[in-house]
Amino acid sequence: MIIRKIQIENYLCYYDTNTFELSDGLNIILGENGEGKTKFFEAVDWIFNGENKQLEMLVSAKKLDETEIGDSFRVRASMTVEQYGEKNIITKSFVAKKERPNECSTSSFMIEGIAENSSGERTQVDGSILLNRVFPFEIRKYSMFKGEAELNIFESDSALANLINLFSEAKHYDKYSEKGAFLREKAEKAVDDSSKSDKKNEAQYKKLETEIMFQEKEKAKYIVHLNSTEEEIKKIEENLQLAESHVNNADALDVLNKRIVGIEERIFSFNGRIDENYTTSLFDEDWILVNFESFHKEFADKVFAHSKKQRKLQSEFDKQKGIKEGAQMAKAELLNNAVPLPIGVPSKAHMEEMLYDKICKVCGTDAPEGSISYEFMMEKLKSYLESQDVEDNEPEKDDQLFKFDYTNRLENLSTSHEDNLKNLRLIRSKIKELFEFNDERKKDIEEFTEQLEKEKTERKQILGNSSIAENKLIDVLKNYNAWQRDLKNKNHDQLDYTSKLDKIEIELQRKKEEKEKIDTKSANSFLIKTRKILRDIETIFIDTKEEKFDEFIVKLQTKSNNFFKIINIDSFTGTIVFTRRKTANQTIVDIDLQEDGRTFHRPNQSLETSKHISILFAISELASEIKEENFPIIFDAPTSSFGENKTAQFLNLIYETKNQKILLIKDFLSTEKATKALSIKKDFENVRRNKAFWVKLERPFDPNNLKTINTEVITL
Amino acid sequence: MNNLFDKWKTRIPKYSEVHKDLFTALSQKFGAEGEKIINLGKHFSTNYELYTYAFFLGLYNKELAPIPQGEKKTDFSHHIQHWGSKTTISSRKDFTNIQENMFIALVAKTEIDLVALEKGDLDEDDAVKSLISTMESYTNGGLILIKERLEENPNYFLQPTSFLNLILQIGESK
Repeated sequence: MIIRKIQIENYLCYYDTNTFELSDGLNIILGENGEGKTKFFEAVDWIFNGENKQLEMLVSAKKLDETEIGDSFRVRASMTVEQYGEKNIITKSFVAKKERPNECSTSSFMIEGIAENSSGERTQVDGSILLNRVFPFEIRKYSMFKGEAELNIFESDSALANLINLFSEAKHYDKYSEKGAFLREKAEKAVDDSSKSDKKNEAQYKKLETEIMFQEKEKAKYIVHLNSTEEEIKKIEENLQLAESHVNNADALDVLNKRIVGIEERIFSFNGRIDENYTTSLFDEDWILVNFESFHKEFADKVFAHSKKQRKLQSEFDKQKGIKEGAQMAKAELLNNAVPLPIGVPSKAHMEEMLYDKICKVCGTDAPEGSISYEFMMEKLKSYLESQDVEDNEPEKDDQLFKFDYTNRLENLSTSHEDNLKNLRLIRSKIKELFEFNDERKKDIEEFTEQLEKEKTERKQILGNSSIAENKLIDVLKNYNAWQRDLKNKNHDQLDYTSKLDKIEIELQRKKEEKEKIDTKSANSFLIKTRKILRDIETIFIDTKEEKFDEFIVKLQTKSNNFFKIINIDSFTGTIVFTRRKTANQTIVDIDLQEDGRTFHRPNQSLETSKHISILFAISELASEIKEENFPIIFDAPTSSFGENKTAQFLNLIYETKNQKILLIKDFLSTEKATKALSIKKDFENVRRNKAFWVKLERPFDPNNLKTINTEVITL
Repeated sequence: MNNLFDKWKTRIPKYSEVHKDLFTALSQKFGAEGEKIINLGKHFSTNYELYTYAFFLGLYNKELAPIPQGEKKTDFSHHIQHWGSKTTISSRKDFTNIQENMFIALVAKTEIDLVALEKGDLDEDDAVKSLISTMESYTNGGLILIKERLEENPNYFLQPTSFLNLILQIGESK
């Protein structure tokens, strides 16, 4: 069957009547994005599958604008097909009536069919029935593909298995295997009944039956476990493979990031150890006193000089006043009339110690009791103690030379700071040490900073080489390790389940044999023979069905790979591998891309697309062989990931295939920069095809105003 | 026994208003620590730190420069005895030692008739006043030195070592 003509009238951007006179073989429809390619595809799809709702959405805005309120017009898509020398026209249409500006009401759509026989006689037929006769629904399903994403129709569950069933001879065996199973069950029941009638066997027999049933249940359970484990393994392997390309980078990044953190921490800690608060240290560390020693000396000298002067004055005053004359005189004599030391020097404790030891520790001579030295010390201590009693004695102030004593405190201050002087002398070297320490740390930091820069550059290179962002890369490593653990566990589970299943199978076999033994002993030998024959027959049917199915798969695989190799000529492809897999209640065909038995879980889009297209062509070709008839395939932008070169190759390849193809692509068009005028590239001349069209919007148009949109169909 | 130091530290020394800008620019009035000082572009945590610094700078450089009669005096209402951190003692040290040394220098550099003082002929307040006056004069001298530095080079004090170096240089040149 081929589509001879498609007409589209007042359907969206197709204003008025637009005709595509199609040819057998390859038809290419070129068009820029948004200029009518997809609307063509949708119009055809509407004929096949369109629903009777929201029809006003399909009306050409330009036509509606031109129509007077109250007037009506037809929206139509029709298809003329040729089959076995007969021509059939299938038309889907509805009437739109303009009610208000920009608004219309619509009738329901109708499908008309016209059949024309070889002698040109035309008959009106039911459009829907005609459509299904010339282009059966199950084939239509695999005829129209919009975009690259829709090509993967076989990746879902049992779609491919169903299709193969439809096309392969396997389907002929369905009814036989059903019947076979029915007959076998009957025969088995007859044998069972016969065996059970033997009373002495009954108990043993029932026990075996129960055990077999139990084992069968166990077996089913483990098959489910095994299947789901295998599926999980597949998924994990897929994830691992995706991650693998990133893992090396992730690994390196991980190591680098750890190093970078390490260096940053060191820099931080060194920075923390550098104390640059020099101004604060002037106060907190007393550095400001670095030059203070001479001032202290000046102070001490001044206080000492004053103290001496004050005592001299006091001594003279005392002498003249004649107070406590005798004692004072004696003291003066002891000191050879020198100025006495201040009262309280040496201290009370020191005086008491010297008196106790009977040694003058100031001049270092013995001072036995009764000696002059001893008496002097005793006198000095006494006068100190007396001076502490001054307040009790309430001396008359007027009699004193000095009313106040500031000297004592000043002297104390001088003495206490005397000890501090050695600390002041150390300040300069302390500062120097700190400077040196800080300089060392700064040098360290410089070195680390340089290292850090190097590491960061390396990290940039890694991230530059990676196609995913840093955060994801970090996740990859985490997930990768987790997935590897999972995989290990799952592989272990798989092994476990398999061995359990084997054991159950052996047990089951043993029980069945035991049961058969009872059968052979007690049942009618004719029944047993019949059962054996029927069992064999069922096995033959099932095996044959599976064999046919597998045969088809092998053919499909060979054909698919032929296409696949040609589409991807000169580049790496791998092999498309089909695997039949049985789950509890359905058969599934997995499609993998393999090289040396290793599966690529994530091939690039272009490879993926060519894989899908190869399978579709293979199916279409196989369908043609079986049905002895070709059906058209319509693709909308199936090769957007290909690039122009590969597209050209691809077009030349499918030109060679037998059936009719309608391809909508946006390649081979170029836009003049200055005028924005569209033209067809010269390369297109080299593309082999049977017919080509160019759909483009009539210029000028306003992209924001649908009323100005009209797609022109240019036959090239 | 009488104590000049105790009396002296209850006073608030003044400085010439012409240096007010220096205090605004170089010190953090409300007290700041570590990074906060630097962030604010300040060098001294408090006004009295700058005052103390200027005093020693003037002292070491023998810049006894009494505040001229015509210049208005101002202060930052902080008694000498409260200088130094008593509250944040964990991070800063208290100033008692520095206070005592300031006092020692003032006594050394101020002409006070101690005999007259002890005899009661010289009023204690007058003695303390002379000490404060010496203090203000050296501080004023120090502030002038800082100002000169800044006028020569406004960025002079951006280095963390600048203030320290000014003090260290004096000892080295000796």
